[in-house]
Amino acid sequence: MDMKRDYYEDVEIFSSGAVVFWFVVLGCLLAAFPFFAENYYIYVANYIAINIIVVVGLNLLVGFTGQISLGHAGFYAVGAYGTITLMTEAHLPFLVALVLAALIAGLLGFLLGLPALRLEGPYLAIATLGFGLTITQVIGKIELLGGRQGLKAPDLMLFGRQLKTDQEFYFLAVPIAVLLVLFARNVVKTKVGRAFIAIRDADIAAETLGINLVFYKTLAFAVSAFYAGIAGGLYAFVLRFIDPELFSLFLSIMFLTMAVVGGLGSIMGPIAGALVLSWVDLELRNILSIPYLGDWLRHLSSSYFSLTGVSNIQFIVFGLILVGIMLFEPLGIYGIWIRAKKYWKTWPF
Amino acid sequence: MVNLIQMIVSGIAVGSAYALMGLGMVLIYKASEVPNFVQGEMALAPVFISYLLMNSYGAPVWVAFAGALVFAMVLGCILEFAVLRRAKDPNVLGLIIITIGLEMILLGLVSWKFGADQRSLPFPISSYDSVVIGNIFISTLDLLTLVVALVIMTILFLFFRFSKLGVAMKATQQNEIAARLMGIRTNRIKMVTWGISAMVGSVAGLLAAPVIMEPFMMWDPMLKGFAGAVVGGMTSLPGAVVGSYLVGVIEHLFGGYVSIEFKSVVAFVVIVIVLCVRPSGLLAKHYIKKV
Amino acid sequence: MKRFAAIMIISAALALCFGTAGMCEVGVTDTEIHIGQWGPQTGPAAPWGAVARGTDAYFKMINAEGGIHGRKLVHHYFDDAYNPAKTVAGVKQLQEQEGMFAWVSGVGTATGLAVKDYLMENKIPWIGPSAGSRHWVEPPQKYLFNVYPFYMGDAQLLCQYAVETLGKKKIAIAFQNDDYGKQGVEGAEYQLKKAGMELAVKVPVNVADTDMIPHVMELKKAEADAVLLFVTPGHVARIIGTGKAMQFEPTWMSSSTCGDFPLMMAITKGLSQGMITASFGLAEPTGHVGEVQLLDNPVQKMVAKYKTDAFDKFAAQDERYGYTFLAGIGFAEPLVEAIRRCGKDLTREKLVKELENMQNFKGVLGRINYKPFDPKDPTCRLGQGEVFLQECTENGGSKILTDWVKTVYLPSKAE
Repeated sequence: MDMKRDYYEDVEIFSSGAVVFWFVVLGCLLAAFPFFAENYYIYVANYIAINIIVVVGLNLLVGFTGQISLGHAGFYAVGAYGTITLMTEAHLPFLVALVLAALIAGLLGFLLGLPALRLEGPYLAIATLGFGLTITQVIGKIELLGGRQGLKAPDLMLFGRQLKTDQEFYFLAVPIAVLLVLFARNVVKTKVGRAFIAIRDADIAAETLGINLVFYKTLAFAVSAFYAGIAGGLYAFVLRFIDPELFSLFLSIMFLTMAVVGGLGSIMGPIAGALVLSWVDLELRNILSIPYLGDWLRHLSSSYFSLTGVSNIQFIVFGLILVGIMLFEPLGIYGIWIRAKKYWKTWPF
Repeated sequence: MVNLIQMIVSGIAVGSAYALMGLGMVLIYKASEVPNFVQGEMALAPVFISYLLMNSYGAPVWVAFAGALVFAMVLGCILEFAVLRRAKDPNVLGLIIITIGLEMILLGLVSWKFGADQRSLPFPISSYDSVVIGNIFISTLDLLTLVVALVIMTILFLFFRFSKLGVAMKATQQNEIAARLMGIRTNRIKMVTWGISAMVGSVAGLLAAPVIMEPFMMWDPMLKGFAGAVVGGMTSLPGAVVGSYLVGVIEHLFGGYVSIEFKSVVAFVVIVIVLCVRPSGLLAKHYIKKV
Repeated sequence: MKRFAAIMIISAALALCFGTAGMCEVGVTDTEIHIGQWGPQTGPAAPWGAVARGTDAYFKMINAEGGIHGRKLVHHYFDDAYNPAKTVAGVKQLQEQEGMFAWVSGVGTATGLAVKDYLMENKIPWIGPSAGSRHWVEPPQKYLFNVYPFYMGDAQLLCQYAVETLGKKKIAIAFQNDDYGKQGVEGAEYQLKKAGMELAVKVPVNVADTDMIPHVMELKKAEADAVLLFVTPGHVARIIGTGKAMQFEPTWMSSSTCGDFPLMMAITKGLSQGMITASFGLAEPTGHVGEVQLLDNPVQKMVAKYKTDAFDKFAAQDERYGYTFLAGIGFAEPLVEAIRRCGKDLTREKLVKELENMQNFKGVLGRINYKPFDPKDPTCRLGQGEVFLQECTENGGSKILTDWVKTVYLPSKAE
């Protein structure tokens, strides 16, 4: 079943031939997707891929190490601004600029991790919140980064080809996302991941067992900031224009929500969370076009509520989804999947 | 020198609103152990209800305010009873997400019902008149907020100290199981805690509404109140008050002397520094966890 | 299913088009013209959602009158909650699944810039972005036609009036910390330099701030006797209120975004009386300087017509008849006029040609001018380059202070 017989089985990425097979199938589907899907859906896929990167990174921090961060929009911003500035000012090629910007974000994450060593719970939340806010304000002040008027992304040149369409960008974003997810899974399965989990479950006991809290906690912050930085750099090229207002507290809260709703403490969880919630977020604006529901909502609006504010139903539906999932399955979407799996495996008992 | 005093005075005036929100958050944190993100919207909905009462039904100001407070109490109780309690096996992050979801629902409902235009609440005490002492100004509305905040704090203090319900609430917060063993109906107590917290928050909202009313108006006070509660200690009511006033005063001092743009940022930086020195806040006891 | 239906419709339209002897265009059939728009119907910027609803009512009015050359205008507008990612998603979905002929209005600088490249690369006309950002005309794009007069023009005219007519000596500015506010500062500095003066103080305002006491203290410290407020109406209300409480009452001046006097009077509880703002239209200044004009009883005949034919008939019950709603109509007027001038044979290239030939077109806004495309000249796609000043009277009316004044376009400083 799921029993591991030795250390190497525990650590391997693909636990069985079946998993490898399905992974290859997924890879083929992902690769073939842009050829038979519409441009709009490819754009949505790009957006979801970027969110997956952030949320997987955030999950390493929140789900596996038990910290909390409301400031990830700040690292996202550093990645975005850093990539663009390094490309325009230092004339570095895209991939180098991306990685460098993400490393800068990682460094800032490390700095954030230092005060976090003493804090937990709401105290840590406020500290990270303040940090995210500070970064956005500082970026807004620096004229080199466009100040409050924002910054335009230069053309994206990769290995001499210019990436203009969503399809081409897909082949950049999705492989990066897959790579980072595999990397995260690797981290989780090995010594570093086990140290994170130990810190989450009982950090003082972990310290007595010889796990260096300072190193691992700051490492967790740094790695999740790195992920957010990479995602930010990609996001800058999806939108082609960024300004400091984009990277607000609301964005950080959205990331945290995606991580928690997807399922903390697993790798599939944040992927599911990012997928479902990003897609819902983008599609809810069309809620009034659904044939019967839309008209009924409009009718309801004109009788009891205001018709001008009818689009606010998006917020209500989104909130209901959040509350519904969290009420019924605190482990999130991944928890629902596990429950379903267990049910079928142990049926008919 | 005059400027310094003026800034401190206005900082205190602004801090009163934050203090009320902070009080609400600490109350809920002590009872349900969750930082409550729906505090802002629990304060917002009663404000819009009072607007509705005044505009559509022509009720006088005091009736509308009383109605708003009653609505706040009911809203808080319903939120706890119908939603938070139903969470199975909750962990802190899950509860936080539930409060965020509730916040979006309430925000959506308020925006849906009232539309997006900005409004203003008719109120006998204007925010445009001011009390002048020497060269120091404080607007009458701010003064009222300050007085009301102090009154509410006193009431809460007396309530927790001397009334049966208050003592029961303190007992529930300290050790829930022991309280249950002593015959206190902790579920009901938690419900009432949420209701009181919503009421306190809505007072803050009602006093901010005469200036301008829009669906997103409670975000800023909520965040600053949260920050103030954190710096004062999430488990201490006086701490929430002290912390919030501190946040308000620091913001104003920094805004006046150094830079207006960065005033919120500096408040948070100061909070982080304070937390590094005293990890559980200024006035709360720092418990080292059991292993 | 929807995609299949869209493909069917578009192929049928194409078939019809090739059946009739004429070139067919995306988004245009024999009976319909599809126009798209985005706007914040929810979120912190939701009051600006009235722009899209205004355009919607306007199009419905035109359809009720028979459409344009027998074609009805189908208006697709969606909510992007001021989030550029959603704007891009909505624009791409509508453009690819339904096929839009052109895009009109669209609130927001960041949101608009996110889709600008996509629209321009696909040669899709976009008329009247509802944000006064210089990015629309620097560099000028062949298919992007600006209408909204730039904020720096507002600041120029306000400073000129303050110095020359009111004789103010110390002019200060409270500006929002973004492109809007910065343009105000530039315009003010340009105008004041011509008079040999400088701004007494420049106070930045963050959008999220609710507490204006430090800002007003700065303004008071500088002893300004006229203050330009390049912020949102909500902040204006707070600043004026705080000012009154601190017994600081200079002449308040603001840009066209705060020109909605009925709203301003309501949210400032009457304190905005005497406030002077720039305005881009909706009243008729020429020949009426010194008069008081109300929004629903105006000298402007077109505004009256829109009130009865568009607003009363097609707007939602709880919609407020205001500046933003009418602005939505104003931004769409050039597009509708250009479509009319194209005649029965409607293509995007013809539309661009007709717009380029537009000289002194007057709708409810000011005179709109375009010139043939020149990549070095921002004014070829500038649209409206004039504003006038109005003062708020005690019942929310507009007292006309000046006639239309042409303002100077200041290019942004090179990075």
